[in-house]
Amino acid sequence: MSFLQSFHLSPGQTIRSTRGFKWNTGATQTNGPSQPETPSAHKSTRPLNGNVASPSMNPGITTTPVRQQTSFNPSSAQHVTDFNYTPSHQKPFIQQTAGTTVTTHQDIKEIVEMTLGSESVLNQAVKLPKGENENEWLAVHVVDFYNQINMLYGTITEFCSPTTCPRMIATNEYEYLWAFERGAAPVSVTAPKYVECLMRWCQDQFDDETIFPQKKDGAFPDKFVDKYVIPILRRLFRVYAHVYCHHFNEILELNLQTVLNTSFRHFCLFAEEFNLLRSSDYGPLLELVIELRDR
Amino acid sequence: LMNSPKKLPQGFHRTASSAKTQRLVSVCKMYFLDYYCDMFDYVISRRQRTKKVLEYLEEQKTLEKIPNSALNDEWYGYLQKENEVLRKRRLKPKHKDFE
Ligand SMILES: [Zn+2]
Repeated sequence: MSFLQSFHLSPGQTIRSTRGFKWNTGATQTNGPSQPETPSAHKSTRPLNGNVASPSMNPGITTTPVRQQTSFNPSSAQHVTDFNYTPSHQKPFIQQTAGTTVTTHQDIKEIVEMTLGSESVLNQAVKLPKGENENEWLAVHVVDFYNQINMLYGTITEFCSPTTCPRMIATNEYEYLWAFERGAAPVSVTAPKYVECLMRWCQDQFDDETIFPQKKDGAFPDKFVDKYVIPILRRLFRVYAHVYCHHFNEILELNLQTVLNTSFRHFCLFAEEFNLLRSSDYGPLLELVIELRDR
Repeated sequence: LMNSPKKLPQGFHRTASSAKTQRLVSVCKMYFLDYYCDMFDYVISRRQRTKKVLEYLEEQKTLEKIPNSALNDEWYGYLQKENEVLRKRRLKPKHKDFE
């Protein structure tokens, strides 16, 4: 399936690149068809739950995934929107595309069109560039994923209301709670409220120069990854989980599945590349994550 | 679609076909297209820049006129510049022309 084909631009609309990207309209370079640089060398062999340093609980933060096994309250069950989705229902929509290796600017348009769904393209794109500071690379991506999720959730806000989603759940097995104050007991909130709190909490950290430095010489804090990157990614993941588990049909109807799958695949590959999430963080989507990883 | 129990909320199609939703969907798709074009552009360009710098340093080394420490300094100077570019990408206000 083509990524661009899923774009229905109405007359007069154009794709505006905000950052000066120009379509490459020909002018082939000497390398010819893209050659895999080092096939298989990039294949990550790290297990999802490999020897990951257990991320220290972020002090004062605030959400807790709860497994709803014994305590599922039947009286609230009738208010829960449950479309009975499971990752296996979504499998047919996680389309596979043949691998392509990005080596030159040549064919970039083609690559974006054809292979955003392909593992190997995104797989290479998440690699730390030679000599780059790892914190800087992670920080850029955390902000990028935040923006992507904001954009994705923004398109379905009309379908995710306190009425449709009175609790922030992913399947009936997982509920994510929010603590409004440091040390306060996390409480059950509606999905839109949870997402709102989560996004504001992320934004506050991005705006804090002692966490995400903005000046040329600003340094990242100690334990930046364990204290900030991992907690943010663990929570951003929950928005994917809620969308996949409770709004996937709407996503399909709106023809946004390619975009959602690309974003989520990119997120997973990135988390795996830097060992940022454990199997348990993937909770309700673990099956889907394994499916993506093993392709 | 056969595996999916296509349950849609009441009034879905009315909301989905509204101008507002259609606009949000198309903005979202454009955002992702732009993001991935730009991201691949950056990754490829950066790889090419690094390759050129490394080739240049290798060349200088074979001339044996320049001490290794000077070449090291050049390499770290280059990395510093790349780091600044990357930081700016994080801070750049993005996509405000969509709003
Ligand atoms: Zn919802």
